[in-house]
Amino acid sequence: MTEIIRIERLHKIFRIGKVEVPALRGVNLRVEDGEFVSLVGPSGCGKSTLLHVIGGLTAPTSGRVIVDGMDLGQMSDGLRTQLRKKKIGFVFQRFNLLPTLTAWGNIALACHIAGNRNGNSRAEMQAVIKMLGLEARMGHRPYELSGGEQQRVAIARAVVNRPKIILADEPTGNLDTENSELVLNMLCELNHKFGQTILLITHNPEVSTFTDRIVNMRDGHILES
Amino acid sequence: MVNRLIVANLVARPMRTMLSVTAVAVEMVLIILVVGLTHGILQETARRTAGVGAQIMVLPQTTSFVMGMSGTPLPTQLADRIAEVSGVQAVAPVATQVSSNGGVTMIYGIDPKRFDAVSGGFRFLQGRGLQAPDEVLVDDIHARAHKLRAGQTVELLNHTFRLAGIVEHGKGARIFMKIDALQDLLGAPGKASVFFVKVVNPQQTAQVLEELRRLLPNYQLRDMAEYLSLMTASNVPGLNNFITVMIALAVSIGLLVIFITMYSTIVERTREIGILKSMGASNRYIVSVVLRETALLTAVGIGAGIGLSFLLRRLTGVVFPTLPILITPGWMLRAGLIALAASFIGSVYPAFRASKLDAIEAIAYE
Ligand SMILES: Nc1ncnc2c1ncn2[C@@H]1O[C@H](COP(=O)(O)OP(=O)(O)OP(=O)(O)O)[C@@H](O)[C@H]1O
Ligand SMILES: [Mg+2]
Repeated sequence: MTEIIRIERLHKIFRIGKVEVPALRGVNLRVEDGEFVSLVGPSGCGKSTLLHVIGGLTAPTSGRVIVDGMDLGQMSDGLRTQLRKKKIGFVFQRFNLLPTLTAWGNIALACHIAGNRNGNSRAEMQAVIKMLGLEARMGHRPYELSGGEQQRVAIARAVVNRPKIILADEPTGNLDTENSELVLNMLCELNHKFGQTILLITHNPEVSTFTDRIVNMRDGHILES
Repeated sequence: MVNRLIVANLVARPMRTMLSVTAVAVEMVLIILVVGLTHGILQETARRTAGVGAQIMVLPQTTSFVMGMSGTPLPTQLADRIAEVSGVQAVAPVATQVSSNGGVTMIYGIDPKRFDAVSGGFRFLQGRGLQAPDEVLVDDIHARAHKLRAGQTVELLNHTFRLAGIVEHGKGARIFMKIDALQDLLGAPGKASVFFVKVVNPQQTAQVLEELRRLLPNYQLRDMAEYLSLMTASNVPGLNNFITVMIALAVSIGLLVIFITMYSTIVERTREIGILKSMGASNRYIVSVVLRETALLTAVGIGAGIGLSFLLRRLTGVVFPTLPILITPGWMLRAGLIALAASFIGSVYPAFRASKLDAIEAIAYE
């Protein structure tokens, strides 16, 4: 198996005025291509921050972050955006769909941003929509959808461009048990079918049983298992 | 796809969208009407002056151009000398005066016979020609604007006149009286402001002009065609500055409203911009979304502004028939480009701010 994420001595310090808030204090982590990893730990231990750094949404303060062979520490903001566009799909706890667009519009916009404007992407879209059981909901806006449906649309949006890595920050945090299970099963299916690497943050120990491996975090560190 | 996002955003905020479209429309209307009115008045004046039927105008040396046909420094006997020059068919001395009650209106004091000889005669819609010194004629447009009928009395230059007749518009002024009457009112007996000269053969205007220049070296002689071609805003002192100031005013309205709209839009949509970034949208992509949204708003505003301008012109035509508004495709295009540029400038900073938002903070934004 090949390594798709490798993190060495990663530090991330937020500065609020003169106060320094260390969110990550020397994280080391390796993730294999196609792995489904869950990231657990108490609130404020730096899980989201780690995901944001891997996804290129924020720059590391120091250390090495290599994603699919590219070192994010050396990359400009623009290059990190490129990487995110091509290789990363984000799923958030709060769904984060664009409220003015329909479900279909949200997914199509993801294709557009990624630059897939040809017929291929349409077929791809249909396949993903079908797989997530969303065929009947495409014409609806987010507020007309249930939480579970919104999160499935968000997943469809994240995976439609076939990113190598899906970063999911508590995707089931706002869902009831039934919908949580549905969403997790879908992530598993994506992981199996397309071999997408998934990093999933959760507070729920049950959720982590769906995954290949559990990574524990505490105070900006990863605990050795 | 971006278009869909943009339209959805605009539809989601109908009030704000309406407001900025209206601002752009007002910007357009201001530009089109101010320009249209100045050009319209100039063109109308030129057309009426041409309607006198003369090929040559004789003016005092010192008279300034276009708006300057006032004062009465020309001795009327001079007209007889001009009439004797070969090639001249008729000469009409005219005293002019501007009446300013109820809008600025030019009054021509004419010698009816000589004026008719140059102009070919009035076409009377009501009443008859000038006979007594206390009589005036007005054209149909003036009559309509002031609801006048032949036979009634009118106040002009602090005197009461009888309206002898209403004539078809297009022959110099909108109000006519006998030249001696006007000369008396102005305290300038025997003096005129301008001589309108009709030549026998218009093709020989240049030769006649030469001849007259020799005869009257101390006067300003103008070829009517040339005179009319010079009747543009840039030849009227101060007019271009006025237009520029009005356009600047219009532009600042458009620019400010677009700035406020787009700025408040991006503040309100901070979270959505963060989402776009998390989806891999580049700074350029974000900037283009904001600019395209502005462009769409502006395009709708431009369309509405053009429509509104035509509507207002029609209304003006009914309420103030003496105010001609000239709307040309050239100026519609120019006004549109000006509005587009103003909107662009107004949205550059908001677009830049949007692209510089911190994605994570934006997503956390409530
Ligand atoms: N943008 C920021 N500016 C300043 N401090 C931040 C910022 N983002 C996170 N932090 C701080 O960094 C630390 C780690 O935050 P992070 O959101 O990564 O925790 P988390 O493990 O995801 O917590 P939770 O389970 O509550 O989501 C916290 O102390 C937090 O206050
Ligand atoms: Mg978190």
